Amino acid sequence: MTTLITKLGPDLEGLFNIFDIDYFKLVREPVGGSRIPKADIAFVEGAVVTNLDRERLLEIRKNSSFVVALGTCASSGNIAYTASRGVDLKGKRLRDVEISEAEPISSVITVDYELSGCPVSGEEFTDALLRLVNGIEPVQPDFSVCYECKMKGNDCLLEKKKVCLGPLAMGGCGAACTSVGAACYSCRGPASEADLDAYLKTIEKKGIDKKRALMLLHMFMGKKAKEVLKNEQ
Amino acid sequence: MSSKEVIIDTGELRFIEGHGRLTVKVSGKDIVAEFHNLEGPRFLTKYLRGKPAEMAPRVASRICGLCYTVHSISAAEAVERALGIKVSKEVRELRDVLYLANNLRSHMMHLLYLSIPPIEGLISVLRMRNKDVFRVGSRLLAKATELIEIWGGRSVHVPNVVVGGFGAPIRGKELLSSVKDLAGLLEDAQGFVRYAMDLELPELERYRVLAASKKAGTYPIYSEDATVALSDGSILNNQEYYEGLEEVTKDYSTSKHVYFKATEITVGALSRMMLNRRYLSFGARNLAEEVEWSINPFLVVKAQAIEVIHYMEELIRLGGELADVIMEPEKPVICNSIDLDAVECAYSGGKGKGIFVAEAPRGTLCHSCEVEDGLIKDYRVYTPTAVNSKSIEMDAVELVKRFRPIGMEKLRFILEDLVRSYDPCLSCAVSLDVYG
Repeated sequence: MTTLITKLGPDLEGLFNIFDIDYFKLVREPVGGSRIPKADIAFVEGAVVTNLDRERLLEIRKNSSFVVALGTCASSGNIAYTASRGVDLKGKRLRDVEISEAEPISSVITVDYELSGCPVSGEEFTDALLRLVNGIEPVQPDFSVCYECKMKGNDCLLEKKKVCLGPLAMGGCGAACTSVGAACYSCRGPASEADLDAYLKTIEKKGIDKKRALMLLHMFMGKKAKEVLKNEQ
Repeated sequence: MSSKEVIIDTGELRFIEGHGRLTVKVSGKDIVAEFHNLEGPRFLTKYLRGKPAEMAPRVASRICGLCYTVHSISAAEAVERALGIKVSKEVRELRDVLYLANNLRSHMMHLLYLSIPPIEGLISVLRMRNKDVFRVGSRLLAKATELIEIWGGRSVHVPNVVVGGFGAPIRGKELLSSVKDLAGLLEDAQGFVRYAMDLELPELERYRVLAASKKAGTYPIYSEDATVALSDGSILNNQEYYEGLEEVTKDYSTSKHVYFKATEITVGALSRMMLNRRYLSFGARNLAEEVEWSINPFLVVKAQAIEVIHYMEELIRLGGELADVIMEPEKPVICNSIDLDAVECAYSGGKGKGIFVAEAPRGTLCHSCEVEDGLIKDYRVYTPTAVNSKSIEMDAVELVKRFRPIGMEKLRFILEDLVRSYDPCLSCAVSLDVYG
């Protein structure tokens, strides 16, 4: 949401002129106080960790026609998904808050569309919003990070024998990390064309540590790592 | 003993980063305030355990959507200290620019969107009567974000900060033009700051020990060898400060309170102003002289506004210096004196402990890590909001004691302003580990 605020800047006013925005915590006082307002479209951020998150989420689903999971925490559970597994959370109850393992919001409610990314891209957000109000279904990028990385003319990190998840990762970020020489951690989840077997063969041929690649795969993909790792331990 | 009666419950706090609430209870003559953090724990430091040390900046960045740069730089520094990696002066200067840009961005966000509108009784910044304030403010916010984008490789969760230095070279031309634009905005910014300086704020002075980074002759934000000064006169190095910090769990909040040697300390823009204001940049120092400073948390708004000017002037100065010293325009700077392969060696070996303390927008931030065989053994983050939580509660009690006669309904709103004046970030403060 902060991305959105800074990207739109003074144009934020325009957004509020076009849409009735009842809940946007950083920009306005929520309509109806802490109650969840009725909405045509709800953008939901964050993973589900506490009982309060769960209750709020169910309320959002009940009150909204279309729910978008905004950001990787909401769409895959992000780092917290992996990090909270296997932790003894019994008895981790506070007075009002009960803590459980982190889940993407799709584990609790039906999600109509996922807009992944850590961070989310401002352009993708406005694009999805425009499509939705015009009754067109938004589409996720159907290319991998490698595609964008090649377009930018970057040197391939795999060629330099470094772990990079580019071939498996959903694009749309403009290859931000690999363009500054850092590995892709696949923060937007798996690409539709992700082929794990081919990827593992490739890195094996290049002599890249497979264990490390799999560890990185779990980092941001959270629950979605399962999709990619169907046949892999 | 009669049970405690809740006299004020703010419900979900408005205009705040994250979900939280504040309640004030009375039992007999005692007044107790509870600052509830209702965010879910992040498990980020738990995740880092057993992971390669160079992953720390990436993971730490995800602590917050506002001051990610600060967290990733602090993480890189903590790991570098643990492994004994020395970075070049140029890398330090580049990080300094990023750090300042981040603080500028965070302050603008807080002042413009979160703190000023409710002080004026508005439901949104978009309702401000003076439209210029909003326009100038959002331009500044956009500018700060642009600086982060150019220098950090992306506007949010910058990938360019890596253990050992910078990921990619920065082009001199981009740098020069971005700093030149900033100079052009300085006059407009003065107008914005003037607006914040003229706000009428409640008086609520209460003594407590303040803490901020200290370095002779400077107003330290991010600095290699700054110490931490307390307002009681003590000067501590990073290690001593870290050792004094202790985390206390509360059964009503998902964030821990952080005490220093079992007592309350307050960090943030006001603490910096109280301890270091004579070393502000020229324009900011003039503004700071207008204010009668006291330990009144409501003054944080003014302190932040003054810091906005300081950050801008510092950025302009640093940009000029960097341009003069290390780069010719048009040519990319070879600032990655590191090569990533050398850093990745840390993966296969290297051990040690590292502590890094710096001034994040909301106050003194401490990252510490322990590395063994290139893997992180223990990682801790002490955020300013966790440090300030105790002060927020104590000030709430003080406020209720003094202003009780005006009635709870009105008091509720002042209480919310009080919490907001600390600029708390509940997403940062929430326990990063397993709670409890």
